[in-house]
Amino acid sequence: MASAAIGKRKVQWAFLLPALIYLMLMAILPLIWTLTLSLTKWHANIMPKPQWVGLDNFKYFLFEDRRFWNALGFTSMYVGISVTGELILGLMLATLLSQKFRGKNFFRVVYLIPMACPPIAVAFLWRMMLHPDIGVINTILQTIGLSGVKWTTSAKVAPFTIIMVDIWEWTPFMFLALLAAFQALPMELYQAAAVDGANSFQMFVRITLPLIAPVIVTISLIRVIDAFKLFELVFGITGAGPGSATESLAFYVYVIGMKWFKLGRGSAVSWLFLIILLIFAIILISRFKQKRTT
Amino acid sequence: MVTEHGLGKRKPLGAGIIFIILILFTIWTLFPVVWAVITSFKEPGDSYKPTFIPYKQFTPTLHAWEDAFIATRDRTLLALRNSIIISTLSSLAALLLGAFAGYSLARYEFKKWKNKDIALWILSNRMFPPVAVMIPYFLIMQRLRLLDNVLGIIMVHVTMNLPLAVWLMLDFFADLPKDLEEAAMIDGCGHLKAFFYIALPIAAPGLVAVYVLSFIFSWNEFLFVIVLGFRKAMTLPVLIAGSLTVRGLDFWKVASLSIISIIPPVILAVILSRYLVRGLTMGAIKE
Repeated sequence: MASAAIGKRKVQWAFLLPALIYLMLMAILPLIWTLTLSLTKWHANIMPKPQWVGLDNFKYFLFEDRRFWNALGFTSMYVGISVTGELILGLMLATLLSQKFRGKNFFRVVYLIPMACPPIAVAFLWRMMLHPDIGVINTILQTIGLSGVKWTTSAKVAPFTIIMVDIWEWTPFMFLALLAAFQALPMELYQAAAVDGANSFQMFVRITLPLIAPVIVTISLIRVIDAFKLFELVFGITGAGPGSATESLAFYVYVIGMKWFKLGRGSAVSWLFLIILLIFAIILISRFKQKRTT
Repeated sequence: MVTEHGLGKRKPLGAGIIFIILILFTIWTLFPVVWAVITSFKEPGDSYKPTFIPYKQFTPTLHAWEDAFIATRDRTLLALRNSIIISTLSSLAALLLGAFAGYSLARYEFKKWKNKDIALWILSNRMFPPVAVMIPYFLIMQRLRLLDNVLGIIMVHVTMNLPLAVWLMLDFFADLPKDLEEAAMIDGCGHLKAFFYIALPIAAPGLVAVYVLSFIFSWNEFLFVIVLGFRKAMTLPVLIAGSLTVRGLDFWKVASLSIISIIPPVILAVILSRYLVRGLTMGAIKE
């Protein structure tokens, strides 16, 4: 019997260790390496080795670099508006589609297409459609008598262009998740409320919304964490322009590290980025912790 | 009379409005893809005109497709081949490591740290921004001489997909009743055999779901493929990005390449649609 217990211990660790070790080597160690690099100055195209500078890089980004705050500001605004828009649209659509009717599955399948496309392909397709001069969108607008919009050439409009494409791409996520959540709602509550004379608006506000609220929080957090990583849309649609009007944090890190080869600076700003995401990640993880009963 | 989810009795007029909204949203959703398909069949000179109906408004041509598969055939096929190799292999590796780890976390109790904590720690790896490890990965692959090599990208993609693979497989295995495995073990079957002959086959839908999800993420990935692979390890996303020249974009070229890159993940997502929500919400919502 003891050998069976030892056999069990061997199996359980043998099964778990490969994944753990892989993550240690390929995720944790590189993150630590980034942290050490962030305390150095290393312009890799002209310096053979990094030089220790302590917290200088962090001080630079937090107190001197306007471009960092510009990127953080744009990314935050984009996350806030996009996720809110996706949530509202998704909620609307899920409410509409939760009725039984024919062809429901057709819509469900069609609506997952934006999520499945490679984001860079999405970015380039929209870039072409939204070209201020020869893009099909402006041409259509002009045909019906409206003036074309400076989608990518106006510093005021460009951020909203990115937001619009993101909403196009990710509303289906909110929609499908909420639809699934709606399916799980117990019918009895609604039947009882109907017996008591509640109308559909009251039922939505008093029954549906409170029951759906935890789901809304969870999927919003998931979407916020993913949205902060904004890169492909900026790369493909505006190239962070005009100027730096649509420069996201991830894009800024990419430019510093891979275009300017300032590896020390790039590492520092990516750790600042990481810390920001960590806040949301901790909240999300603690929600998962409460849920799991295993 | 209560219809589904308490939204009240629907009069026929209400149903009509709902349908219109849905049609509008469908047009909004499909327009870019449809436009790309139409553009890919146009002459370069026509490609930016707002014409939609072939033969009536423009002459369809295979120019863009010929260019992709004949004129620039080598690059297109290379990118396609690399995308397939990277996605197939990295997803397989992530699935294997993930299935093993997920099973052990679902079935066995770990004494030193709680199962839940280990699993959550693994999941948290999914949440850091990829750019945070961009520089070390570049340096590591440079030292290992794996820059511009599909193996390097495969290693990185496995790291990307492994946390979710473990977490989802844990979720799937936890949902399976232990009875069959326990019965088999009473009959003398060892733990390993129970895993391979009983648990894995029953969890097959989960295995497929995790594999397909990882495949889609890997296929669509952009940051690491442009940082770590530029010519020999080029994938379809890199090829598309490379069509941005000083002159601007060739609409017809981007349209055809985009369609090629869109078709596989969309088909896979449709096949997977039953588990898609579960996968994307990390098991928070199950359909």
